[in-house]
Amino acid sequence: MTGAAIRAPRTGRYDWAPRLIGLATLIGSLLLIEFLIRAGIINRYVAPPPSEVIASLYRIVAEEHVLRRFAFTAGECLSAGVLLTVFGVAGGVLMHRFKLLQKACETWVASVAAAPLVIMYPLFLVVFGRNALTIVMMGFISGLPPAILKTIEGISATRKVLVDVGRSFNLTRGQQFWKILLPASLPTIFVGVRLGLIFALINIVGTEYLINYGGLGSLITDLAERYDLGGTYAAICFVILVSVVFFVALEWIERWLRPAD
Amino acid sequence: MAATGRLTQTAPPNQVTLLRVAIIVTLLALWELLARSGLLYSDVVPPLLSIARAIIDLLSHSGYYYNLGVTAGEVAMALLIGGGSGLVVGMVLGANRFLSKAFEPYLYYLGPTPKVIFLPIAIMWFGIETPSKIALGTISCFFPVALNVAAGMRQIDNVLIRVGKSFRASTMQMVTKIYLPAMRHPVVNGVRLGFGFALIGVLLAETRLSNKGIGFLIVQADSTFDMPRMYAMLIVLFVLAIGANALIGRLGGLDSIKRV
Amino acid sequence: MTAAAPGDGNAILVADNIAVRFETAEGPITALDDVSFTVRPGEFLSIIGPSGCGKSTLFNVIGGLLSQHEGVVSVAGEAVSGPHPSIGMVFQEESTFPWRNVIDNVAFPLELIGMQREQRVERARHFIALVGLDGFENRYPGELSGGMRQRVSLARTLAAEPKILLMDEPFAALDEQTRLLLGDKVLHIQQQLQQTTLLITHNITEAVQMSDRILVMTYRPGKVKRIVDIALPRPRTSAIVGSEDFGRYVAQIWNDLREEASRGMREEESHALLGDTTP
Repeated sequence: MTGAAIRAPRTGRYDWAPRLIGLATLIGSLLLIEFLIRAGIINRYVAPPPSEVIASLYRIVAEEHVLRRFAFTAGECLSAGVLLTVFGVAGGVLMHRFKLLQKACETWVASVAAAPLVIMYPLFLVVFGRNALTIVMMGFISGLPPAILKTIEGISATRKVLVDVGRSFNLTRGQQFWKILLPASLPTIFVGVRLGLIFALINIVGTEYLINYGGLGSLITDLAERYDLGGTYAAICFVILVSVVFFVALEWIERWLRPAD
Repeated sequence: MAATGRLTQTAPPNQVTLLRVAIIVTLLALWELLARSGLLYSDVVPPLLSIARAIIDLLSHSGYYYNLGVTAGEVAMALLIGGGSGLVVGMVLGANRFLSKAFEPYLYYLGPTPKVIFLPIAIMWFGIETPSKIALGTISCFFPVALNVAAGMRQIDNVLIRVGKSFRASTMQMVTKIYLPAMRHPVVNGVRLGFGFALIGVLLAETRLSNKGIGFLIVQADSTFDMPRMYAMLIVLFVLAIGANALIGRLGGLDSIKRV
Repeated sequence: MTAAAPGDGNAILVADNIAVRFETAEGPITALDDVSFTVRPGEFLSIIGPSGCGKSTLFNVIGGLLSQHEGVVSVAGEAVSGPHPSIGMVFQEESTFPWRNVIDNVAFPLELIGMQREQRVERARHFIALVGLDGFENRYPGELSGGMRQRVSLARTLAAEPKILLMDEPFAALDEQTRLLLGDKVLHIQQQLQQTTLLITHNITEAVQMSDRILVMTYRPGKVKRIVDIALPRPRTSAIVGSEDFGRYVAQIWNDLREEASRGMREEESHALLGDTTP
């Protein structure tokens, strides 16, 4: 309480001012770009004016089956997400249960997380063929390490007093896990799954773009190869929009699962 | 790192080594068995010997080192530009609540989008040569560095800042003697992440539009269907990437400093 | 109401009519009001008050870390705006730099003014010895106890050789025995250096043990309730705690303080009842 003495006077309950400035800056820079392109200072064949991109946004939604592509990519993400949650949490629990295994392999898992796995896509292409399975597997393996590591971290960091409470009630090993360890480590596990999903999404859209197959990623390749400038930019904006929606939704789910925080 | 304050009976280290060796040997044996069984195309799972031969072959040709140098140079440039600007932007956002509230949400949500989708734009702006690859690496590594530094800046214990002010440290002194050392862990972690992302950005750009660099070599091995060579290149690349990552952590003093 | 008149020719530090008002969501709060006092060279002055009387706010105003206040703080006749080189602050919180060893922590202010390495190490060693930490020069704060870390902070502030030592409950986070022994240490150093010292505390024993004068503050808004002269003989140690005079002073100050503390407690309770957790 005494340490909080230095505090700037609060202006109001809501932070509308900075948000407005942020938004205004965004709109302002778009207008500036529009102007620079229309004035011929920026080459129109390098960057189309924002107004054209916005118009193309509507066009690609109407003509390029964007919704179907979106559903396709979302399906891939969901599959990879389920896989990495199941295997990641199971792997983490297993490694925590068998300490020797954890000691032997934890650094390996951490190392795999540091390797540029996405570059394995040509290999996956050969192994699984040019189909959705390749893409899902790319997403899955890239998201697996953080899910495993965070699960171990979460279970290991369970406060000792909670474990002792369980022991004082004579819980069995299984009860100890389901009633104490798992609920206590759920927030950390969720962080791991979220991290895994981020990596998975990056690799899924990236692979789609690189192998020109499937959903939103390949749409960008298509349009770029047709040299449809407005369309390419619009598709990129659309992917950004989708990932923003994806992460906002994740945050909602996270908040809904952990109402106490 | 994981065993915080818990009773972990310490297994003798040789037991751990034993298990590690056993796991590796088992995996290799399974692989070899699979390769010889003919259940899969032999190309997909080549025998260990041919992979080992391919690694030796790879490392004994100077052409590989040239391409390695190309990729390393591009990643270094990307890290320098993207990481440097990320550091500055992160510090500004971390120091100023208003700017942080105004602009950080955009960085936060743009951070996890796959940067490879910007490759067509990079090609339009910078052509199909080195600058495009560096550009993709740069935007890939900017976001993790900026976001980590901004968060690290806010985590600095306020009393340390007040100590600096009470001794009338200049802005430059505050940055070099208080802010940076106080947030060295998030900064080093950000640079580590940034390095990983820059590497991915550069490699992917190379697979699409280059005739040199490691990414190009991997795609070339793919198109000639030379699987042992592809495995060899992936293995060497991963070892190098993991090594570089560990090195950044070590240089950043993550292990040598006594207290968090 | 014996607040010394500002402009006392002898004074090294003068606080004249200090007031601090915060805007909060529940409306304006007056943290400090009409606070005036002086500190004479070599004097040990303690400011004591119940929690919530704005002691730490006053600390930040005098240290120049809080600029939004009314009234003037002046050092040797010069008005303070921002941290002043003549004032050295010791903070309540753990404030050593974990990435520097003891020597480099203590040498920090000397480094800022560009002193040569050899010279500043020598100076740092002197002050480390003064707080009794010789032998620990190359240790990192993480390897030291809380009391030792607080001594490192004290040595760091003393190394800048401030005219006025300003301390904000420096022993608040320590256990009782460490607190007493550390108090002895501070008292010893203060007497040895003839260091002008301003101590902010809520601990009556601590204040009586060390001070020449004690300024008692009221609960919010923090005002000067009384200034008490402590006419105990010097040099003092913690042994003085047992003496009869000591007990009398403690009782007298507790009498003043009890009223304020219980008023503060009542007000905070009524806030809590209304569901308002921000005091």
